[in-house]
Amino acid sequence: MALQQNIATEPVARLDLREPVLCGPAESIREVIVRMRERKLGCVIVVDIDRKPLGMFTEGMLTQLLCGDPSALDDAVGDHVAAQWPWVLDTDPISLVLDAMHTKNVRFIGVVDDDGRIMGLTGQKGLMEYVAEHFPQQVMVQRVGSPPPAEREGA
Amino acid sequence: MSDIRNSRATSNEFQDPLENYDPVDYDDPLEEALATQPVSAMQSTPYASISPDTSIRDAVRQLAGMHIACLLVEKDQKLLGVFTDRNVLDRVALEYDQIKDRPVSEVMTIDPVFVYNTDSSAAVFTVMAVHGFRHVPVLTSDKKIAGIASPHRISGFLREHFRE
Repeated sequence: MALQQNIATEPVARLDLREPVLCGPAESIREVIVRMRERKLGCVIVVDIDRKPLGMFTEGMLTQLLCGDPSALDDAVGDHVAAQWPWVLDTDPISLVLDAMHTKNVRFIGVVDDDGRIMGLTGQKGLMEYVAEHFPQQVMVQRVGSPPPAEREGA
Repeated sequence: MSDIRNSRATSNEFQDPLENYDPVDYDDPLEEALATQPVSAMQSTPYASISPDTSIRDAVRQLAGMHIACLLVEKDQKLLGVFTDRNVLDRVALEYDQIKDRPVSEVMTIDPVFVYNTDSSAAVFTVMAVHGFRHVPVLTSDKKIAGIASPHRISGFLREHFRE
């Protein structure tokens, strides 16, 4: 089946979702950075006590913060989250992830269940792995960084 | 002794080794694009670059000011590294006050995985899916910087070929 059809019909849950870094709104940005480093993840989702998302804080927002006011790293992360952050239901088609990546220019997208609780994280990495899984004979065999073939003279 | 000229002249049975070659038939326009289109068919410009002696503070300012996630670090048009949002998170944020005046070359990713603009476009997906990098520098055959493939550009490539 063609990838285009799969991506339009298969649910987001089919992607290899990543476990998000969750934190409470009162944690300092410094504390959050330590956890993001430990988990090698570029965003954290701020949740309430019912695990319902309040917003997202990303490495891109961190760069903006450092540029504007480095002392803000001691602030509570809840004061700096993006309340309008991209999310999809785990039952939504994967095409919504692709659309969000392109139209909103985001790399991380939260995945929530019907009750609005965070289930996982997806985005560029999950989508690229999905494409690679469909076309292993194209994607998985490339030797990247190898010099291009030299121009030949004669036979 | 046989006459080779006669034997050639009488043999009409030349077999073209490609006569039974069937061109690859792709049932998905994206797969065809991955296999047949070079990296240069993807959008890879504009890109932003800095020199390796740029201060970390200035590099962070440029990332923030341009609202981008990756700067190419170059010298004499040769790629030395990349400085990304991830470098800010991993190597700069908590240490910012102590290192902000140091050169970006101390915290950049050295020798990043790159592709040539003549590579198959699938190579970009390989770097992202297999190597796990989000930004892929694109070089010419003489290793000069041609651009960068970003998540936004890749999603545009996917959507473009889905519409065909």
